[in-house]
Amino acid sequence: MKGNHLGELEELVLLTVGSLFDKAYGVAVMDELRTSANRDMNISAIHAVLRRLEEKGLLNSRMGGSTNERGGRRKRLFTLTKSGKQAIDETIAVRNALYNKIPDMSFNFSI
Amino acid sequence: MKEVKPPSWAERFLGWYCDPYFLEEIEGDIYELFDRRVATQGQQRARLLFIWDVIRFLRWSNIKKSNSKFKYMNNTVLFANYLKLGIRNIRRNLPSATINILGLAMAISFAITVFIFVDAQYSVDKHHANGDRIYQLTNYVEQEGEENLWGYSPFLLGPAIAEEHPAVEYFTRMKYVSASIRHGDHVFDETVKFVDPDFMRMMDFEVSSGNRFALNQTDQIVISQAIVTKYFEYEEPVGKDLSFKFLDGEIRRFTVGAVLEEYPYNAGVRGNFFVPISNYFSMNADTHIDWSDMTTATFIMMREGQPVTSIESSYDRYIQQQHGSNPDWKIQSILPISLWDLSTQSYLITGGVSGGGHPAGRLALMILAGFLLGIACFNFMNISVAASTKRLKEIALRKVMGSVKTQIINQFLTENVLQCFFALIAGIVMAYFLFIPGFDQLIPQMDLQFRAHDPMKLALFLVVLLLVVGLISGAYPAFYISRFDAISIFKGSQKFGSGNLFSKVLLGFQLFLASFIIVGCFVMVDQSIYLSYKDWGYTPEGTFSVFVNNQEQYDLLKNELIKHPDIQSTTASTHLIGRGLPLKSIEYNDRQIALRTYGVSQDYMETMQLRMEDGRELTDRSSDQEQHVIVNETFVQQIGWQNSPVNKTFKMDSVRYTVVGVVKDFHYYSFFSGIEPLVIKGLGEAAPRYISVKASPDKLIAVHDFAREKWQEVAPNDPFDAVFQEDSFNDFYQENDTNIKITLWISAMAIILASLGLYGLLAFNIQKKLKEFSIRKVLGASPKTIIRLAGRQYSWILLIAFVLGAPLGFLGMSALIQSVFPDPKAISVLPFIVAISIIVITLVVTVSGQVIRAIRVNPADVLRNE
Repeated sequence: MKGNHLGELEELVLLTVGSLFDKAYGVAVMDELRTSANRDMNISAIHAVLRRLEEKGLLNSRMGGSTNERGGRRKRLFTLTKSGKQAIDETIAVRNALYNKIPDMSFNFSI
Repeated sequence: MKEVKPPSWAERFLGWYCDPYFLEEIEGDIYELFDRRVATQGQQRARLLFIWDVIRFLRWSNIKKSNSKFKYMNNTVLFANYLKLGIRNIRRNLPSATINILGLAMAISFAITVFIFVDAQYSVDKHHANGDRIYQLTNYVEQEGEENLWGYSPFLLGPAIAEEHPAVEYFTRMKYVSASIRHGDHVFDETVKFVDPDFMRMMDFEVSSGNRFALNQTDQIVISQAIVTKYFEYEEPVGKDLSFKFLDGEIRRFTVGAVLEEYPYNAGVRGNFFVPISNYFSMNADTHIDWSDMTTATFIMMREGQPVTSIESSYDRYIQQQHGSNPDWKIQSILPISLWDLSTQSYLITGGVSGGGHPAGRLALMILAGFLLGIACFNFMNISVAASTKRLKEIALRKVMGSVKTQIINQFLTENVLQCFFALIAGIVMAYFLFIPGFDQLIPQMDLQFRAHDPMKLALFLVVLLLVVGLISGAYPAFYISRFDAISIFKGSQKFGSGNLFSKVLLGFQLFLASFIIVGCFVMVDQSIYLSYKDWGYTPEGTFSVFVNNQEQYDLLKNELIKHPDIQSTTASTHLIGRGLPLKSIEYNDRQIALRTYGVSQDYMETMQLRMEDGRELTDRSSDQEQHVIVNETFVQQIGWQNSPVNKTFKMDSVRYTVVGVVKDFHYYSFFSGIEPLVIKGLGEAAPRYISVKASPDKLIAVHDFAREKWQEVAPNDPFDAVFQEDSFNDFYQENDTNIKITLWISAMAIILASLGLYGLLAFNIQKKLKEFSIRKVLGASPKTIIRLAGRQYSWILLIAFVLGAPLGFLGMSALIQSVFPDPKAISVLPFIVAISIIVITLVVTVSGQVIRAIRVNPADVLRNE
């Protein structure tokens, strides 16, 4: 099922939203991705991913309060849903399980 | 510090395309980024990046899919409401709505008629399924410095191409020959068409009985349905014999091998007798056929998928061969024309085989139809605008209840399309019962009915007509009215209608068009009426002529005829006035003079009742028959003889002729062509072709019947071909008559449409002002004041439209007549005055009814209403 599968970018954004807890909106996610994952992305791409994740039910959103910044425009703040958190757990579990199967010898590059 | 702003157009663009649901967050994010970049990267770069962001956000998921702020609106219910209101509005304003619809219906039915008329001409020969692969090989020939396109082509061209190019599937030649054809006692002159047997494989003519490929047998022919009734009555024609007598006297018998179905109405290439072309060659066996011999037409059919351009390369070789055998008639180039295009192109081709007239007539009709539709649309717009003044409150209320501008526009457009739909239905009915039968009667050459080659095209045309007329005529009122502010309407401060410049311009323009058309048409009608009463230059009553094949028939018939007591005189001639006279050219004082000449015997002037101007008639004396001539006034004028031309001489065909008489100019063809120099000489050696007889007009029919009786004895094998001189211009009179009727029709429509427009507008405005008039009357206004008030708005428009339109129509049509007719009537102001008075009278009658209503109004009735 489409909803169960997470793309690499989706996974990153989902993690970022989780880590920015309650302060996750478009620009903040973009900045966080740049600093911690070294990914430089256009804001419109971030919006597209956030909206897709919301449609999949992994994120929730609400409009924040209006301030004097941003020309008075409100922010759309995203939070993880329960199934969002589950999705992250699952992917990380899958990765860890696979990672643990790697034999040590495979690191012996230097003969 | 001055606040830095992003480019405003980019903001507006974002606001325009972006779904309002997402707009705020997107705007917020890119403003935030903008501010940050202004601080870090500088203004210029921030602005550029802002634009870039706006463009990057232009994604399908962000674009707003509906113009409305409300995502789910029940437009279907509203639409039903528009329709209901539209019908109620028509019912409430029944008189003006009827006028409006009928006016539009008239123009629409004219447009439909023109469409069907034009379609009938464009669909000619389209019923041949392979028509796009069949080409007639026409060719350009240089004649006197001009390149003329001819249908005639060398006999050898078709076979040569078919042999050389496998891409050519079939070819056929068509050669037209006259013959007298007999079956039992039925004898008629007919045109026989010699064709190659493949003719029946190329063309999709339906065969009703017999063998489709009968032409493969040399002695079998294919005939048309018309011939069956003409020759065979109730007999079964297949297998019967017909005897053909050709002009050189040879008689051949052919068996009917197949009969074609009735031709479809749009068959251009048709014929009554198709005979295998091998017979033509065997009949002319003594003359060797080479590249100089011409057939009437050559058709080739390309194999499927093979373009006709693939055979282009060998044209030059054929042209060389043709030049070799006929240096006087040099083909310059060969032009293949597809059978489907043949009829529309045939006005370019000399000796074409597919009929079809000059496109000028079609074009003029199409333009006129456009004009009339335009006038009708203007009417519609004007009356709609005026009518909607009554509905301002409804519009305002709709706006208050939440209607947006586009919905008001939709409502008015819907109502207009609805009215146009009724007009379209009425127009179809009118076209079916009135216009198309009328046109059909006016143009006897065409069988016009309510049909189209492709019914889908007609349906499409009707739908497009409905939408275009409905939207164009509805657009202005709809957009105009929907702009109004609800508050100002309720306050009553929204004024419009009376002072509306646009509707005045429209009214002025349609009155301008109407007076232009009407005055122009009347000038044309005046000219046509003049032509139909114009003197021919001789007296045609009391004369008829019979075509004879040779001297022997002439002598025998004449001997019988002179016994009849009522015959006053007889004469012989080589040609007949009204049937075309041969052209010749002479040289006189180093000048070329083109003239027409034919031979006559004694008593010609008296029998044909030509009028002598000077000198004497020709007699049967040998000097008269060989050296003396009579010329017409135009000849004297062109050759430039100052005093009496009698006894002057000139040379023609290396014979020196002496003029013994001058005949008054007379029209020998029709008034559409001018009078050229004419030389009437003696018969000399030439055989007489016509015997002409004069009797008193009341005895003429009896004499004609007597001649027919005698003809049966003299020449039972030849048809009796007699012409009353009075009838010789019949074709011309018919055409002239058609012109008069069409022109009158069009002017009638123009004036009806214009008065309808004026009437409708006036009716509304007077209705609106009835209260004003009533109050004025109560206060003592005289009828004169009321008339002035009611007419004030329109009198200026009327005046300007006349002053511009009438002289323009007059001058335009006069110029056209001067250029078309060789001998036009002197321009008179009579048609101008008649046309103007008709317009004025019609408009005054139109207006006066309304004005009288305004004067007669009882103030008590109107004012008590409230």
